[in-house]
Amino acid sequence: MNQDNNRHTMQIKETRIVLKNAGKINPMRIDDYTQAGGYEGLRKALQMKPTNVIDELMDAGLRGRGGAGFSTGMKQKFTSESCQRCPQRYVVVNADEGEPGTFKDRVIMEQDPHLYLEGTIIAAYAIQATKGFIYIRAEYYDSIKKTRKAIEDAYKAGFLGKNILGSGFDFDVEVKLGAGSYLCGEELTMLESLEGKRGNPRIKPPFPAEKGVFGMPTLVNNVETLANAPIIIANGKEWYRKLGTERSPGTKIFTISGQVNRPGYYELPLGVSLKQLIDLAGGMRKGRPFKAALLGGAAGTFVDASMLDEKMTYDNLREKGATLGSGAVIVMAEGDPVYDILHNCLRFFRHESCGKCVPCRVGTTQLVRQADQLKAPEGNKEDLLKQMVRESEIMAGTSLCPLGQSPILPLESAARYFKKELCNPV
Amino acid sequence: MSKQVKFTIDNKEIHAAEGANLLQVAKDNDIAIPHLCYHKKLSPTGACRLCIVKVEGQRGMVASCAIQAKEGMQVTAFDDELEEARKYLLDYLLSEHNEDHDGTYDDEFRELIFRYGLDKKEQRRFPSIWKELNYPMDETSPVLSYDAAKCIKCFRCIKACDEVQGKNVLSFTNRGITSYIIGGFDKWDESECDGCGECIQLCPTGAIVEKPHRDELRLDQKTSKVQTTCPYCGVGCQLELMVRDGKVVRSNGVEGVSPNDGRLCIKGRFGYDYVNHPDRLTTPLIKKDGKFVEASWEEALDLVARKFSEIKKHHGRKSLAGYASAKTTNEDNYLFMKLVRMVFGNNNVDYCTRLCHASTVTAMLRSLGDGAGSNSIEDYETSDCMLVTGNNMIETHPVTATFVKHAAQRNGAKIIIIDPKWTPLVKDAHIWLQPKLGTDVALLNGMLRVIVNEDLIDRDFIKNRVEGGMKSYDELKTLVEKYTPDYVEEVTGVPAHLMQEAARIYAQARQPLIATGMGYSQQVTGTHNVFCLINMMLITGQIGRDGAGLNPPRGQNNVQGVSDVGASPFTYPGYISVEDDENRRKVAKIWGVHEDELDGEKGLSTVEIMQAAYEKEIKGMYIMGENPMLTDPNLNHTEEAIRKLDFLVVQDIFHTETTPFADVILPATAFAESEGTYVNSDRRVLRVRKAVDPPGQARQDWEIVAEIARRMGKPIGNYKNESDIWDEIAQTAPIFAGISFNRLEHHGIQWPCPDKDHPGTATLFKERFNTPNGLGKLHPVDYAEQSEKASEEYPLILNTGRILYQYHSSTMSRRNKALNDFANESYVLINPADASKQGISDKQKVKVISPRGKIENITIKISEEVLPGELFMPFHYAEAPVNKLTRDELDPYSKIAPFKLSAVRIEK
Amino acid sequence: MSTHDIIKQFEPQQHNLLHILHALQDANPANYLTEEALEQTARHLGVTKSSVYGVARYYTMFSLKPRGKFIIRVCASAVCELLKVNEVIEALEEELQIKIGETTKDGTFTVEQSECLGQCQEAPSMMINDKVHNNLDRGRIRKILQEYRS
Repeated sequence: MNQDNNRHTMQIKETRIVLKNAGKINPMRIDDYTQAGGYEGLRKALQMKPTNVIDELMDAGLRGRGGAGFSTGMKQKFTSESCQRCPQRYVVVNADEGEPGTFKDRVIMEQDPHLYLEGTIIAAYAIQATKGFIYIRAEYYDSIKKTRKAIEDAYKAGFLGKNILGSGFDFDVEVKLGAGSYLCGEELTMLESLEGKRGNPRIKPPFPAEKGVFGMPTLVNNVETLANAPIIIANGKEWYRKLGTERSPGTKIFTISGQVNRPGYYELPLGVSLKQLIDLAGGMRKGRPFKAALLGGAAGTFVDASMLDEKMTYDNLREKGATLGSGAVIVMAEGDPVYDILHNCLRFFRHESCGKCVPCRVGTTQLVRQADQLKAPEGNKEDLLKQMVRESEIMAGTSLCPLGQSPILPLESAARYFKKELCNPV
Repeated sequence: MSKQVKFTIDNKEIHAAEGANLLQVAKDNDIAIPHLCYHKKLSPTGACRLCIVKVEGQRGMVASCAIQAKEGMQVTAFDDELEEARKYLLDYLLSEHNEDHDGTYDDEFRELIFRYGLDKKEQRRFPSIWKELNYPMDETSPVLSYDAAKCIKCFRCIKACDEVQGKNVLSFTNRGITSYIIGGFDKWDESECDGCGECIQLCPTGAIVEKPHRDELRLDQKTSKVQTTCPYCGVGCQLELMVRDGKVVRSNGVEGVSPNDGRLCIKGRFGYDYVNHPDRLTTPLIKKDGKFVEASWEEALDLVARKFSEIKKHHGRKSLAGYASAKTTNEDNYLFMKLVRMVFGNNNVDYCTRLCHASTVTAMLRSLGDGAGSNSIEDYETSDCMLVTGNNMIETHPVTATFVKHAAQRNGAKIIIIDPKWTPLVKDAHIWLQPKLGTDVALLNGMLRVIVNEDLIDRDFIKNRVEGGMKSYDELKTLVEKYTPDYVEEVTGVPAHLMQEAARIYAQARQPLIATGMGYSQQVTGTHNVFCLINMMLITGQIGRDGAGLNPPRGQNNVQGVSDVGASPFTYPGYISVEDDENRRKVAKIWGVHEDELDGEKGLSTVEIMQAAYEKEIKGMYIMGENPMLTDPNLNHTEEAIRKLDFLVVQDIFHTETTPFADVILPATAFAESEGTYVNSDRRVLRVRKAVDPPGQARQDWEIVAEIARRMGKPIGNYKNESDIWDEIAQTAPIFAGISFNRLEHHGIQWPCPDKDHPGTATLFKERFNTPNGLGKLHPVDYAEQSEKASEEYPLILNTGRILYQYHSSTMSRRNKALNDFANESYVLINPADASKQGISDKQKVKVISPRGKIENITIKISEEVLPGELFMPFHYAEAPVNKLTRDELDPYSKIAPFKLSAVRIEK
Repeated sequence: MSTHDIIKQFEPQQHNLLHILHALQDANPANYLTEEALEQTARHLGVTKSSVYGVARYYTMFSLKPRGKFIIRVCASAVCELLKVNEVIEALEEELQIKIGETTKDGTFTVEQSECLGQCQEAPSMMINDKVHNNLDRGRIRKILQEYRS
């Protein structure tokens, strides 16, 4: 980033609501959490009608923090209203954080596990689910340990189990482990994995809200999303809506990595600019100029310096052909090879493709081969790059699940901003 | 019927049921949306993505296999963008695909390659990469090979195995482009695969192909196809035989036709080798000086006619008898029966039903008025409770079992199994009751008592449809009073709470079916066992509706039909008693004889015929397609009886254990060489069609029978073909009156079918039972201890039965490589406790000895499938003839023999 | 604990399969799933062999071949690549004299590549069994390996 850009940057500060306890309380002690106001949201929710809890979250404008940005309240409404004769409904917590560059859920799970557990119980109450699963990737040993401890203590304290806080509401929850599959973070694939099967995505419809785990209506929410729920219920939707923008209220945890001085996690209201975020992270490492950022991880988009001042909200970025995704921001400096990082993303998709549908299974393999050819001494590279983008469009249009729909994101954006480099990689 | 909706595909107006699968609807309307992973029988997978369409109001392209038909939707199936995307998808698939094709299978993928012009290499965008992916081949299975390089990973095989056959043997290994299909731990032969070949049939490419007859297969003009009915068990699966150079080279299930809708088991798919086996009988054989010599038909038939005539003349008309055959057609058996009644002049005609379901049929006839299954095979799928008694249906009726498994696996139906021996269906069962052998009456009376005491009865049903109403119910109630849970547990060994739960589930089910098998029928108390089942069914009102009733799956292809067409010592065609004078007059008129020529007295049954032969009352016998020297009980006694005969004719397709005792052997046709009909277990009359010519001089059975009659001076009819014979059957048997060959062209019809406009009857007893007064009848029966008991000398009780891979006396099944590759050796199952007590180890060779006989060199299998004190042996193996050990003490009602219970000991 | 005892801790329901496989693999000093263990698992769950095998082969954390006592999972994500994880891998391969995917002759270490470990704030990263190691470079690799060797 050059001096000129710096002059216009307004220095911002973090707004920690989800991470308000992070680093301040002992995550292994439930008392620390309750003394900091924990489980007040749950107490309040249990005195509300379940539908009012849903309405509150809907009116607060909470959107899924897993990447898709769908209205959490709507999702809960669908789930609570579907299949009235089904004997069971489930809450599934998506804690299978695997998007490259993303570690926001890990921070919540490691530093304040009760917060998202409380959110889980509130969500369960809202849709009247009596059983929940927290699906955590097995590599997150610390998150697993702390979540399990939180569950154990919550049972003892009466926040889980039968007749929670005398409300008559029962809810049990258990931790389920992944075993090394990015795709299992996709909600329909996660349901298969939860049932002890291979991580092949299901077709939709039916959506999890109609037929989820074990064929029952299921609400799948991300850790960060659920961590917002107790805060909204405790403080009210009006309070929450004061944060962020009209269409993207609240905060978002950004995880910034790469060529910045203080990589890490930062909780900010939606709507800050990339430049502000980089500044917050201590500016560019060794003062090197900004070249590019990959927003949202591998299933995200490259941007160049022209995007530094754009507001990072779900909608604004979408309009500009970029994505907010999981909130990952991978910063690259002049001299860093975009080609290599794009190649890494394409290899990643090939490795994580489950193989179920044709365009993803074969397309991810062919894209890596073609990316290799960009480096070959001969051939029309521009045509090849164009062809690759076209293929990724076909994949996006025809693939069964988000994985095959993803390569277009880094590929098309990289081709848009860095065509020359990609056609003449170092 | 579900609501109809109207919508458009490419501006064409479409009508369909609301929620119907859009891709299927398009197909049904001749809109050829390409697809590979979709198959009508399977749940949509969404893997190939070729069936993408655009739906107005939805973003982008969506797979039509995952879309449900909705009112007013506007669908685009074809435009440039969709077609370009499809071409890309096919191109992708091609790049990971080995295109070699040996011309032995239909290839849906290849057809699309041509349709999209991708056969031209310059049209392709992607380099072929399948070679560098090192896809493996799995050639370990005896019946199929899998080539991952020809696999398009469409999931059809996996779902064929899981969703269609309920076995779930297959999965993928690895992921992404390196994934491929596996059985077991990536070795097919060590998997649970039982060789049914459903995966082969549903594979859209050449990835999974059968091994048998690989070299003879080719799809070209020289290959013809014939639809017929499977010659093995009584499910009546519809087969399509592929014929090349006068030889059957492939058997496929016929899709979309009941009862099997394309499904087969290993016998139906790979069990046809025997038709073309070198052991086939090809000429008549006459025994001269103890040796069989080839003879002309003239010579042989003259000899048979002369000998039978002489015996009749010297010893009277009761001195002859015949065994009809559950393997041959209705037409064959009808004429055989006609020969015995009209030419022999008695009613001594019977067949192996006496050895299998006679007791079931007897009990059903007495209580309900009909001896056949009351429901359709498909009803198992919609049932919510199935009581499976003495019936190892996964092995004996594998395709029926697929419906049962669907009900349990998909719909959560509860299966209750009553069986002293573990069967594979136990895996899908809610409750397995394991009574000691021979204690079923006590167990069922215990269940009846639960139903009575907990008032789970259907009063209206009892009042309106049971003879004697509540009064006869009270008699039953009094009788079962002493069968307290404790007492029943003591007698049967079944935990009382399980017995009670089973009774409650059955009585309270919405649509329960009872499927009762040999374990219940082949006992001295066989008829009593089934009486108890019927008692339970009648007091709970669990019969007389679609999907509720009692069904004995029949063991052989035409065991139902042979009884239906009257090859029985007791009944004429259509189950009319031989003692019914009016019917006899009617039939005599049709046959053109005087009624007095037809014996009005019941004939002898199967085992009674043998006993009469032993007593030298029967002097001459005509056996068509049966093998009593392996299948009759107490074989040593049977052999003595057969040796005492003056003259024995055996008509068969192979030499059997019985043929050495014959004076004349006549070569007959196998199923693939025959025309006519069979009747399956759910009373469905099904066509049998000739696919190949018989070997040598072999002739179809009915032609031989008719010739013998003619030469005995009493022609039994002048028939042009099988259709002619059938028309006469329809005339004599009211249950068939409305059925003709014309109507059977495309699918079977279930009897009763009283007139030519009648669609057939899926469910019996809806309005009334077929008894004279239309009411069902309760038969309260008490438990009695078995006369055969374990003793010091014979401390173990032997049970016998069938296995999936062999069939009955195995004359057919053991002449198939595929079946033998799976199971070619007999064994005896013994509980680990008994084995250690006797110091016997697994795989050891032993002798099994009963008071009646001894068999040697049997391999021990130690297994918890049997209870302590009990043994099990399959009866298929001629080198291990279990019926040397069984008894011929008969069930007094049905004359069935107790194959399921013999006291034995084991010696090392 | 025997294989049998480990499996018996879990209810015989397919949804426990991943947990059973984790438990079996963790209990095996050679860090892998034996065929016998898979077979017993299938029997316990009442499912076919392939339903267990297919799952074991799908998830990258499971191995069907013997591995080292310590599994080194080096993060292969874009962030780590950007911050020179290749040098870390080179260092590991030199130190241990094996390539990615291999096990040292003495059976101590296996080096594997892993998807993003979520440690991007201190990349490049790796895990050794359940412990995370961040901010890697040649020097740290040498030191860390020494700790594990002793």
